[in-house]
Amino acid sequence: MSQARTAAESSAPVISVSTLTKIYGQGEVKVTALDGVSVEIPRGQMVALMGPSGSGKSTLMQVLGLLDRPTSGSYRLNGQDLSRVSSRTMAELRGRRIAFVFQGIHLLPRLSALHNVELPMVYARVPAAERRQRATDALNRVGVGALVHRMPNQLSGGQAQRVAIARAVAPGPDLLLADEPTGALDRASGREVLGVFQSLNQSMGLTIVMVTHDPVVGRHAERIIEMEDGRFLRDYAVDDGERIWAHQEVSA
Amino acid sequence: MNAFAIALDSIWRHRLRSVLTALGVVIGVFAVVTLTSLGASVRSYVQGQFAHVGATIVTVSPANPGSGANKHPRFAGAPGGAPSTLTVADAQALAAAPHAHIQRVSAVADIPLTLGTSPAASSGVAVSGVQGPFFKIEQIPFLHGRFDGSGVVLGYGAAHTLFPHVANAMGRSVYVGTHAFRVVGILKKGSGIAALQSNREVFLPIGTGLKLAGLSTVAEIVVQANSTQNVNAAATAVTQVMTARHPSKNFSITKESQLLSTVTSTVSTITTFLAGLAAISLLVGGIGIMNIMLVTVTERFREIGIRKAMGARDGDILVQFVAESVLLALLGGAVGVGLSAIASSIVAHLAGFPGGLTVSAVVLALVFSILVGGVFGVLPAMRAARLMPVDALRTE
Ligand SMILES: Nc1ncnc2c1ncn2[C@@H]1O[C@H](COP(=O)(O)OP(=O)(O)OP(=O)(O)O)[C@@H](O)[C@H]1O
Ligand SMILES: [Mg+2]
Repeated sequence: MSQARTAAESSAPVISVSTLTKIYGQGEVKVTALDGVSVEIPRGQMVALMGPSGSGKSTLMQVLGLLDRPTSGSYRLNGQDLSRVSSRTMAELRGRRIAFVFQGIHLLPRLSALHNVELPMVYARVPAAERRQRATDALNRVGVGALVHRMPNQLSGGQAQRVAIARAVAPGPDLLLADEPTGALDRASGREVLGVFQSLNQSMGLTIVMVTHDPVVGRHAERIIEMEDGRFLRDYAVDDGERIWAHQEVSA
Repeated sequence: MNAFAIALDSIWRHRLRSVLTALGVVIGVFAVVTLTSLGASVRSYVQGQFAHVGATIVTVSPANPGSGANKHPRFAGAPGGAPSTLTVADAQALAAAPHAHIQRVSAVADIPLTLGTSPAASSGVAVSGVQGPFFKIEQIPFLHGRFDGSGVVLGYGAAHTLFPHVANAMGRSVYVGTHAFRVVGILKKGSGIAALQSNREVFLPIGTGLKLAGLSTVAEIVVQANSTQNVNAAATAVTQVMTARHPSKNFSITKESQLLSTVTSTVSTITTFLAGLAAISLLVGGIGIMNIMLVTVTERFREIGIRKAMGARDGDILVQFVAESVLLALLGGAVGVGLSAIASSIVAHLAGFPGGLTVSAVVLALVFSILVGGVFGVLPAMRAARLMPVDALRTE
């Protein structure tokens, strides 16, 4: 999965978008959800995306996650221009180079935890043995290694979200996007899930963009982007002193 | 988990719906396979019947000069309006001709007189005038007596019609017109289509019959070749002899084997026509599958969205849903074949001919149901495959 990158590629930001717009609907009911957004996200960074409801956070995440096409603007992944790629190429980047964690978790109910984690690698045509190995490793890494054979309805919300995170990271993506990943969880399991993200960012250098409404959660990131009305309101680094490491809280 | 495992899982999860959906294909395949298999059975049955009776028979019948009509009067009804000029003398000439391939000859005449057990009564039984070799040619054995040129011979069915309460009608009297004849022979019950007519008839020596009816010409002359291989040679010989006697060629020569091919091709045509009608129900079954697949796709937007977000290509989704509809149709087809195996063996048992399914019909029906599933599955599957992940995930 981890392709050898040229020096230029690895020095390029994981994501570089400029003047992205996304307009829903037409005519009278037109909604400009993204109004010319430009941003670069360097490798290894953990970014919190914040803002009031309806400010366009999910829309931006969906465009970044290749789940939707922008109305206009340019999109570069590792320096590669994706503005005019085929839907097949988009599909092949989805889940492999750019992984998504949803507020709604979205595990397939008919598959076990293990098979859910294997799914993106099935579509990536990873050989069965390697697939199994990577899935098991990922499940262990997020702390649900003992639950591999559970079905989704036999998992708690926090466990299910961790399985979903394992599913996202198992193929070794360049970027992990998480849209309110703790939104459906109670405080305790939310904090656990947050700890998982931070340890992935720290130990593996995984680039993460996470939407959150919680300012405390926001301060776990090293950079905060605040949105309003489809635009960036503020984009700033978090002082090291301000940062609270969730895994420290968890392990404490 | 490959496409077929997913498909099986989905079909199994919605068992009742799957059964109802596949029902259209079940019925379509059932109808097609049963009809074509029964058609094939009937055809081979007919062939078998003719093989042991008619294969060596050449028939001379009247025809307009040069019309080339080759209708078989005994099956085709009145001989096409052509007035007969055939005579008993023609039959005698054929019998006397020095041709090794001509084994037996008999003139046959329809005697247009009433028949009954009393001078006035009419039983509706037909009377034919024939010559002695007729029964050997048509291979109808005698139950009692023989055709001795004096009295009449009754077909098995005719004997029962005329003398319903009599075990053995030998020696009784029947009246042809007003003329009394003694029953000198009774035929065995012939089996098969060719014997249907002789079962119901009464046979009179042809000379006597013609004289009573005031006729001088006969309806046809039947000739038996000495073997199946020599039928064509015998037909040629018959043509020579007859042409010498009737230079205007006001007769036609028919080989029973021609009749056989006419009958079997008629059966085939009817079978094909009915199977074609049945195939329409397969089409309707296909539309049913398409309908349900569209519902399935709509219900599974979320699953489709998740799969696409996990990197499924349009093709992966397409294959998944086409696999499901193909499998559904194929299962329906298999059940249909099973049912038609049962049905055709029951029908064959009741009708008394060999049953069994035609392999080609089974293969064709299964291939056809795969096609139906594929063709009618593609549209819903494309709808699923073309979805943008967000659009699929949005519907909850
Ligand atoms: N499919 C859609 N069709 C029309 N308008 C949409 C659609 N999706 C989002 N919008 C609109 O676009 C704007 C941005 O929506 P978006 O979901 O990105 O907001 P958000 O910041 O994620 O909000 P929240 O915090 O509530 O999740 C909103 O005004 C929303 O109503
Ligand atoms: Mg949102």
